Amino acid sequence: MGEPVCSPTLPGAVASAVQHQAHVVAQTQMARDTYCLRLHCPPIAEQIHPGQFFMVRLPGTDNPLLGRPFALYDVYEEDGQKAGIDFGYVTVGKLTSAMAEWKPGQAVELWGPLGNGFPLPDVEHLALVAGGIGQTPFLAVAREALGQKQYGNPPRQLPKPAKQLTMCYGARSAEYLAGLDDFQMDGLDLKISTDDGSQGHHGFVTELLAESLESNSAPEAVYCCGPEPMMKAAQQLCAEKRVPCWLSLETPMACGFGICFSCVTRVKLDESGDNWDYRRTCVEGPVFPADQLLL
Amino acid sequence: MNRLAVQLNRLQLANPILVASGTFGYAREAQAYIDFATLGGIIPKTITPQPRIGNPPPRTIETSSGLLNSIGLDNDGLEQFIEKHLDYLLSLNTSIIANIAGRNVDDFKQMAARLNEFDGLAALELNISCPNVSGGVDFGTNPKLAAEVVGSVRDACSLPVIAKLTPNVTSVVEIAAAAAEAGADAVSLVNTFQGMAVDWRRRKPILGGVLGGLSGPAIKPLALRIVWQVAQAVDIPIIGVGGIACIDDVMQFIVAGATAVQIGTANFYNPGIANQLVGELSEIVEEQGCTHISELTGSLQT
Repeated sequence: MGEPVCSPTLPGAVASAVQHQAHVVAQTQMARDTYCLRLHCPPIAEQIHPGQFFMVRLPGTDNPLLGRPFALYDVYEEDGQKAGIDFGYVTVGKLTSAMAEWKPGQAVELWGPLGNGFPLPDVEHLALVAGGIGQTPFLAVAREALGQKQYGNPPRQLPKPAKQLTMCYGARSAEYLAGLDDFQMDGLDLKISTDDGSQGHHGFVTELLAESLESNSAPEAVYCCGPEPMMKAAQQLCAEKRVPCWLSLETPMACGFGICFSCVTRVKLDESGDNWDYRRTCVEGPVFPADQLLL
Repeated sequence: MNRLAVQLNRLQLANPILVASGTFGYAREAQAYIDFATLGGIIPKTITPQPRIGNPPPRTIETSSGLLNSIGLDNDGLEQFIEKHLDYLLSLNTSIIANIAGRNVDDFKQMAARLNEFDGLAALELNISCPNVSGGVDFGTNPKLAAEVVGSVRDACSLPVIAKLTPNVTSVVEIAAAAAEAGADAVSLVNTFQGMAVDWRRRKPILGGVLGGLSGPAIKPLALRIVWQVAQAVDIPIIGVGGIACIDDVMQFIVAGATAVQIGTANFYNPGIANQLVGELSEIVEEQGCTHISELTGSLQT
């Protein structure tokens, strides 16, 4: 993938990761309880690629104590140079509630990039399945897959741009749908679902995926990020259709870089899954081939 | 002369800043953030004789200024440690202290003897204090058993022996005295405090392991108290550990009687902290007009 890794058995351990004092450049509201922060941090922006994440911490306090993981939404540039990162978040806890109050200039502690990220797609038709704030990795994935933008240092080389890109995006209701304008791009077919039917398909986002998998031009690869029941459903649908599927997990993390052993998930050691082991999501993922996971 | 070099009986360290077992993985995970050669030493994650799958998630939950964990000594066992991690660790140009845990005295003895076959380890730290494993004898809460395990390991290997003690007892002093009597080169004070977190709406414990060990800044005054009490009562070098997050914390433990310290939970939320503290410690010793750190050790006046 280009980036140096710490160990061949830890594909998500990034040897070139840095700890960096960043600052807030801008904050915008994306949807109800959902915000986007722009942080100035060239050393991370230069190397991060879609599906990777970083830890964000509020310096100078013990409460909240730990950093929290956030996935890359996009890299922004200044004077043609990668200057910083945008990421989306929902206010759910101590840190994210404090973050919603952050103003430009706010000092932020960051470390990353972390994790393996999504593989570079090499298919004609790629489908993205997002549930809630699980949409956040997919803007960069879409821009990369369509050949509109390059990420990583050295820049990741896309084998071929996807001819067809479908994004199935589900949220509780219309007011929680975030970044719809960002996803209006040539070549991306955006399909919406809401739990309450206030916008798009009334039902689960995986019903949109099932429809796509049944169609004449079914996707040849599926990338998912969202709540566990959604991931499980996507895993099953793709297994039935024998379509390769990757899941980006968000298990609770304390450190984000492999030293705490908190963020484990069950990874199969054989095809049946009778033998499995807990593996760290941060340094072995967070993106796993769906057929390797016991969710 | 290195003004930060410290001696804990048979164990010599380039400086007093260690990273605590269970908070630094197998070191390679931290290589992007830490120059290992500047550390006093690294204590990798606890090794058990056989692989342990660990506890079901969630394994950690943040509390006020603290962290509750119930990892459950997830590790691949001694032979996998030797095969996968030992060469790498011994190549790092810092002291490597292997942390081991067994279910009985024989386990400890056999692990010590096996690790003794490899040149380059600086010491063994005996985890007789993990609150997250069941089924084993609780060596850390009984002075006689603590002494037996320390004595057996001393006999089984030529490495310096450190006993890492639990604070979940009425008197850590008694256990520390027993470990000293049995020949421990040092004691690490303290492991985590047993705690619990509850999701009352679901009527469920939050941690998969139900109970957990509390670490982080929340426990620093408790750990400091124990270090001071043991320093007053027992003649054995102390490695202070518990919530250390900045240079002032390090100095508080040192003046209270710790010869060295371990950085634990702070590694999780400030990956470069151990390096930073080594640099700041050097400046502090100079600022205090001392030629050697030992002039500050145990200098607390009451």
